[in-house]
Amino acid sequence: MKRLHALLLLCCLPLTAFADAIAYTVRSTEIKQQPYSDAATVATLNEKASVNIVLRKGGWVQISSAQGKGWVKMLNLRSSSTTTKQGDSGLQSLFNMGRSGSSGITVATGVRGLSEEDLQNSQPNPAELAKLQGYAVDKRQAEKFGGSSKLKTQTLDYVPAPATN
Amino acid sequence: MLKRKLIITTLAMLTSLSACAFDFDWQKALKSGVDVVQKVQEANKPLTEAQEIQLGHGIASNLLGASPLLDNRQVQSYVNQVGRWISLHTERPDLPWQFGVLSSTDLNAFATPGGTIFITKGLMQHMSNESELAGVLAHEMVHVLSKHHLAALQKSAKLNIASDLAGQALDAKGNPVLDKAIKAGSEVYAKGLDKNDEFEADRKGIVIATRAGYDPYGLPAVLQMLDSANAQDSSLALMFKTHPAPRDRLNLLDQIMANNFDGYTAPTQTDKRFNSELALLK
Repeated sequence: MKRLHALLLLCCLPLTAFADAIAYTVRSTEIKQQPYSDAATVATLNEKASVNIVLRKGGWVQISSAQGKGWVKMLNLRSSSTTTKQGDSGLQSLFNMGRSGSSGITVATGVRGLSEEDLQNSQPNPAELAKLQGYAVDKRQAEKFGGSSKLKTQTLDYVPAPATN
Repeated sequence: MLKRKLIITTLAMLTSLSACAFDFDWQKALKSGVDVVQKVQEANKPLTEAQEIQLGHGIASNLLGASPLLDNRQVQSYVNQVGRWISLHTERPDLPWQFGVLSSTDLNAFATPGGTIFITKGLMQHMSNESELAGVLAHEMVHVLSKHHLAALQKSAKLNIASDLAGQALDAKGNPVLDKAIKAGSEVYAKGLDKNDEFEADRKGIVIATRAGYDPYGLPAVLQMLDSANAQDSSLALMFKTHPAPRDRLNLLDQIMANNFDGYTAPTQTDKRFNSELALLK
């Protein structure tokens, strides 16, 4: 009975280990009033300063911190999560806070099928391959899609690899 | 008289036999020498595009054997439209690009030679917008563009696919050479690519997604999500095993993005559209 209670309790708990949505700065970082480089600076965070994440917008993250609220560059932050947790405690969606209507994901149960062993032992599935080919769209359809989505083609070159890599 | 005749005949036969033997050996040696040269040339020769596509379809079929497609035409069609649009902004826009959402709840994405890209339902569910999807698809496309999996296969000492497959009709069903290559190809997916291939895919992927009109920070946002995830979660096991740590990938993008990718934003309607597609995954 005790065990049943424990089981019921487990079922009622949200399966996601919600992130505290805390990150830290990897370098000295200016907090901006708006998500733009030339916006007014609210305060400057030291390296390894802790911040609470509110929302992401492009390359910017809205934060609150002991030093003030505002926007910081996303790549100045890293997650403060540790890897000490064991097992499937769920995925934290630290940077997914901006999604409307949900701030996290529950652990899905269902078919995985993509472990190392699964891949090594898998057999061809021509029926699914045929289905896949049936879903494909051609260039003309893709151009129409891009145009109707107002996605604008930009011209830019690949960035060379940094010397250290 | 008879004896003499017999000796002459025997001698003649022996001579001709030895001549034959000599000729034969010579030709064989020459031929095997030519074969070796050809093999060496062919081993260094890339597969034809048709062979690349054929091999990729075989590997895709194997991956689908491990996880079937998500049974939702709307979502599959959506991802194909996003992906095919992005493919037009690459150096190989005419490949037969095709995209599939796998029903697996693992978080992962795959590319097979010739332009087949897979993303799992699990990974899509952890994304916030279409730019993130675009970033992941573009990352996978770089593996196709740069032929990373083919290189990994060629590197494998056991297999010289190009030479083994040279001149073979690939469409023949049950072609043992192709089967061998597909099997070896599937191994590459279990073991993963070189980490520099993954860094290259990140570095070029952000550019491709940006060219297609998306927010360049889609891919870094997915990497931030993965970085904050519980690394022990089994739904991340293969992906974490076969890729450099998300933090190292973020550090690389941090180095190259600087302020060069500011000012690009995706149309808001793409975010709305993504959310309604996401609702269909539940």
